[in-house]
Amino acid sequence: MNRNYYFLTAIMFVLALGTLFISERVVSPQISPDELLWDVLQPTRFVTTDQIAKRLIEKDPSLLLVDVRPAAEYNKFTLPNAVNVPLDSLITPAGQEYFGNPGTKVVLFSNDAILANQAWVLLRRMAFKDNYVMKGGLNGWIKTIIQPERPPQTAPETAFERYDFRKAARLYFTGAGVVNSGKSSSKTKVVFKRRKKAAVAAGGC
Amino acid sequence: MHVHELNPKKTLWVLILFLIVIIIGFFTMKRPLLKYQLSLKQSTKILKDTSNNYFYPYQLANVLDHKNKNVVIIDLRNKYAYGLGHIPGAKSIPSFNLTQKGNVKLLKSYKKNGITVVLYADNQLDADGPWLFFRQVGFCNIKILLGGYDYYEAHKNNLAQTKTDGSYLKGIPRFNYAKVACSKTVTAASKKAKKPVVFHRRKKVAVAAGGC
Repeated sequence: MNRNYYFLTAIMFVLALGTLFISERVVSPQISPDELLWDVLQPTRFVTTDQIAKRLIEKDPSLLLVDVRPAAEYNKFTLPNAVNVPLDSLITPAGQEYFGNPGTKVVLFSNDAILANQAWVLLRRMAFKDNYVMKGGLNGWIKTIIQPERPPQTAPETAFERYDFRKAARLYFTGAGVVNSGKSSSKTKVVFKRRKKAAVAAGGC
Repeated sequence: MHVHELNPKKTLWVLILFLIVIIIGFFTMKRPLLKYQLSLKQSTKILKDTSNNYFYPYQLANVLDHKNKNVVIIDLRNKYAYGLGHIPGAKSIPSFNLTQKGNVKLLKSYKKNGITVVLYADNQLDADGPWLFFRQVGFCNIKILLGGYDYYEAHKNNLAQTKTDGSYLKGIPRFNYAKVACSKTVTAASKKAKKPVVFHRRKKVAVAAGGC
């Protein structure tokens, strides 16, 4: 046997040993910076509170609301069926399970659009698609859906239609007190006042 | 015995040619202008620790008075909006031109000289994306103007006094959501102290007024 073969075998063996030390770190795919900036500058990721309200009322199964605020704030109040993915867990595999699933549109929201937008940028960098940001955030949600403002008389008809929709949506999301009003504990006192009889006999047949 | 071993000189030439091609390829390779300098973990960290991110409107007063010369203001809006009105001394770089070679070079020179760059657009949200992008590609000297141009335009005559004004701050809940938007508490609000209902019967006229 040629001495070279021993040599080659030795090299192969060393390389094979090297594979034992390969770490299991999986590098998640990232898009290039240029592509990221281009996508960041597109306004197509923003959706309005009206659109979200409509989807929620229609019970759209493809909609997934993601609350990116800290867990403490999420526990106090959130939108119907929203899941909580704070900024920290956004970059963990557990938090990323919600994103990039075919057939779902993820809408991120926070108090304003700022934090949700930042989460969107990070997600886009991690090459996730089909994510949206609710413009105005929860503050906007309260202002438009929960406490809608009546448009001025001179507003176009569409503004009034939107106002009507928002009033109806408000009833849908808050219940507007109809459910609980029956149970109110302090019952209203009813006071009857009997009429006074007139002094003189007032006739009759 | 292989064929090329018969002519060692030829082999050498081929080797040299091969090396030259690789070296030329290496030098003419198109390198990306910008690369991510922050990992995703670092990015979330700077988003939480906001001390180095923001430029407040009241800080503008010093810049406009030429007291603070270490600040460059960049207008990200389009040229038309810039032409209609902008912060005095602001440089116009529409956001779509940000990664042009000249502009990146300019930003790099600012970073080298320790100059703070302040980005602004109509509002904070419009400048937020480009700002976060530049932080991720390593420009730690870039800040974002809170309130944006809209707030500046409304307060340009009393910028120094806006220190106590918090209306431009974002990310703060402006409502007690749980109170305003949940069904139970809405009923509580409408359940204000109820007045007892009093029925008043109309009084009969004093004198006998008829009959059958």
